[in-house]
Amino acid sequence: MKLEKLNPSIKAISVMAAAIMLSFAYLVSLNLIIFGSCVILLLFFSDARPVRIGKILLPALVAAFGFFMMGLLYARGSSVTDADLSTLSSVPYAVRAAMSQNLRTALQLSTRLLAFAGLGIFFALSTKGEDFIFSLMHQCRLSPKFAYSILAAVNLMPHMVREYGQVRTAFAVRGIPSGFLSLKPLFTMLVNSIRWSSSVAMSMESKGFDGSRNRTYSQIPRVKWYDIVFAAVLLGGIAAGMFLLKY
Amino acid sequence: MKDVVFRYFEKGKRNILDHTDLTIREGTITVLMGSSGCGKSTLAGVLSGLYPENGGFLESGSIRVFGENVSDLPISRRAAYIGFVFQNPDLQFCMNTLRSELVFCLENISVPAPEMDGRIRDAAHALGTEDLLDRSLFTLSGGEKQKAMLTCIYALGSRLLILDESFANIDRKNALELVSLIVRLREEGRTILAIDHQIDLWKNAADEFIVLEAGAKAAARGIDRTNLDSFREIFDREGLFELRERHRKDIHREGFFELREDHQKDIHREEQAGSSGSSSPSGLSDVPPAIRFENVTIPSFEGSTRNLLENASADFPAGTLSAILGESGSGKTTTFLSLLKQHPYSGDIVVNGSPVTKQKKKKLYRQIGIVFQNPANQFITQNVLEEVTEGIRIWHPRLTADAVAEEAETLLSRYGLSDKKKYSPYMLSQGQQRRLAVLSVLSGGQQILLLDEPTYGQDYRSTAAIMEHLAAKVREEGLTVVFITHDRTLAGVYADRVYELRDRKFFAIDPEELLAGEPEELSAIDPEELPAGEDSHRCSEKQDEMSPGDKIKTAEREAAE
Repeated sequence: MKLEKLNPSIKAISVMAAAIMLSFAYLVSLNLIIFGSCVILLLFFSDARPVRIGKILLPALVAAFGFFMMGLLYARGSSVTDADLSTLSSVPYAVRAAMSQNLRTALQLSTRLLAFAGLGIFFALSTKGEDFIFSLMHQCRLSPKFAYSILAAVNLMPHMVREYGQVRTAFAVRGIPSGFLSLKPLFTMLVNSIRWSSSVAMSMESKGFDGSRNRTYSQIPRVKWYDIVFAAVLLGGIAAGMFLLKY
Repeated sequence: MKDVVFRYFEKGKRNILDHTDLTIREGTITVLMGSSGCGKSTLAGVLSGLYPENGGFLESGSIRVFGENVSDLPISRRAAYIGFVFQNPDLQFCMNTLRSELVFCLENISVPAPEMDGRIRDAAHALGTEDLLDRSLFTLSGGEKQKAMLTCIYALGSRLLILDESFANIDRKNALELVSLIVRLREEGRTILAIDHQIDLWKNAADEFIVLEAGAKAAARGIDRTNLDSFREIFDREGLFELRERHRKDIHREGFFELREDHQKDIHREEQAGSSGSSSPSGLSDVPPAIRFENVTIPSFEGSTRNLLENASADFPAGTLSAILGESGSGKTTTFLSLLKQHPYSGDIVVNGSPVTKQKKKKLYRQIGIVFQNPANQFITQNVLEEVTEGIRIWHPRLTADAVAEEAETLLSRYGLSDKKKYSPYMLSQGQQRRLAVLSVLSGGQQILLLDEPTYGQDYRSTAAIMEHLAAKVREEGLTVVFITHDRTLAGVYADRVYELRDRKFFAIDPEELLAGEPEELSAIDPEELPAGEDSHRCSEKQDEMSPGDKIKTAEREAAE
């Protein structure tokens, strides 16, 4: 059983619901459990490459550390809660005094960020864009017009990247070095995109695409029993954790 | 098509299609020709129902395809009648692979899911595209993409196939292969309407050529390869006749000595102005090379072990027009990029006597300008006049605004663009855009000009206009021009020196040789590879036919000498 087999729409909805639930929970342990299980599931039950998981998680870890330090040093007001630090008697008093109020806030913030990151990559790395769009079309009544337009746009991306490189080279040779964020090449790209989108649209139309639902589908993604089980386990698990866990 | 009147703006005065009548027989290959802007593409668009649906205004007339009124057909049923292959192979797919694109097509026309696999297999088999099915469409070459598009149309079962300059940017070998596929489609009873500038590509395949004049009205019909020559006048009037029929322009050889002297003066002036000079003045025998490649190796991308060029060497003498030939993907454009320090390489690339590596980019670009395949990508302003003034200002920051404006006006009028100076560069026609690109690039006084596919998307008249212009610049101002092209004849007619990029090396070719028939092009397609028996028959016919033509050409050349 691979995670890719789950219905993408159900997966997306449950992951989003899970994230909303987590934002009402202040439980460090629950956050860590969610983060850990997302990564483990990805590693063992999906085609996602571990290197890729690492690459995406690295910035999330950095951000989490940043949140931790921020929460630890600068938390003020109602978000501050007390923590029992009597077990840390070896730590100097000054540090303990600073930490007593803020450690929990810091941990809550940083682990919540990790949990969100975990849920995010869980969805993103186990779902193919095409499948997701098809599933949205069938489970969420997305119009084929939008669905195929999005796909066409996604598949044009590599062309746009290549073209952008050419535009920048052309500008450089004309004596206009374009920085990373300069607007001039972007204007050219804008003109190009308008031209491109109209040609792609005409081509799609000439292949008989009229944007209506009046078409056949080679494969229709369906909601299976295991999709329901997945949603129930994820959301039920978080709800249970919110009641049962204390920290 | 009966009495069709069409224009892009309802209130506009100019009718693009002006009472056009056109009938095409079923089961034939018809080639539509006409000068740029005569309304060929619009005609194809209207015929296939893409217009007025996607813009424009159809005033009157009726368009019937196989007895059905096009405007009455719903889009999904129209595909069964008409298939359309566009000029730009990149911009016609919406999926990632050919297989999913085919599924998309079949879904559009409501083919039941269980039948799809069979139809995909049939279509891929018929066009020999089985091995393309699961490759990412982005990685395919232009020719492969057009083949993929033909597969889609085959799968859709369209009875009429419209090709809108679909082979304009595909090298000859691949284009010939595509034409042979199209001949096979005709044998299956499909009707083909092709818009193309390249007569010779279609000479043996087409049943009829139709020449269109302004307003997309037929100027001549019923032309085929047997009576092609008797219509020569009309072809000439519409600026269509292939360069192939003309002999080599000997413009560079007349007054060769004065030309050299002029050029030396130029270099001298440059030296005085403090910019980099060339090596010592010398005689005819060793004109200093403006660009020299010495044992240059270029990887296909940074750190790649696959090389596009390997220990390749070439000389481009100053004050000459040179051409680089080569198949798509052989690294012609990348060579230009290396020359401009925009792509890694090893070995020596020497420009005006000093290695590129030792020159600062800014100084290098003061000597070299480049016009890319798509000139619209290099406009830096939104107005034709500004485009030129900016170009001058960047390289001559000390000039006063008045002087810049004056210079720009002179240049624009010399390039025949003064009446367009308030236009946006993006509103110009392809040919005008390219002229503007050349102009704006040269406005900084660069002495070396690189051109990537200057003929892309142009008819012979515009092509000739650009090439003549450049040849004149070379002759009068000692400019050095290097251009990349698929068109061997174009290279033969205009270039002083021709290199072919083959097997990762430059091979020098005598331009005269390129005009003396095309043995290698004919052998490029092996008759045995051709699909049906009739095709190989056609091909051998072609070879037979070629020889008397060659004799005439050879005779002409001898007479000229």
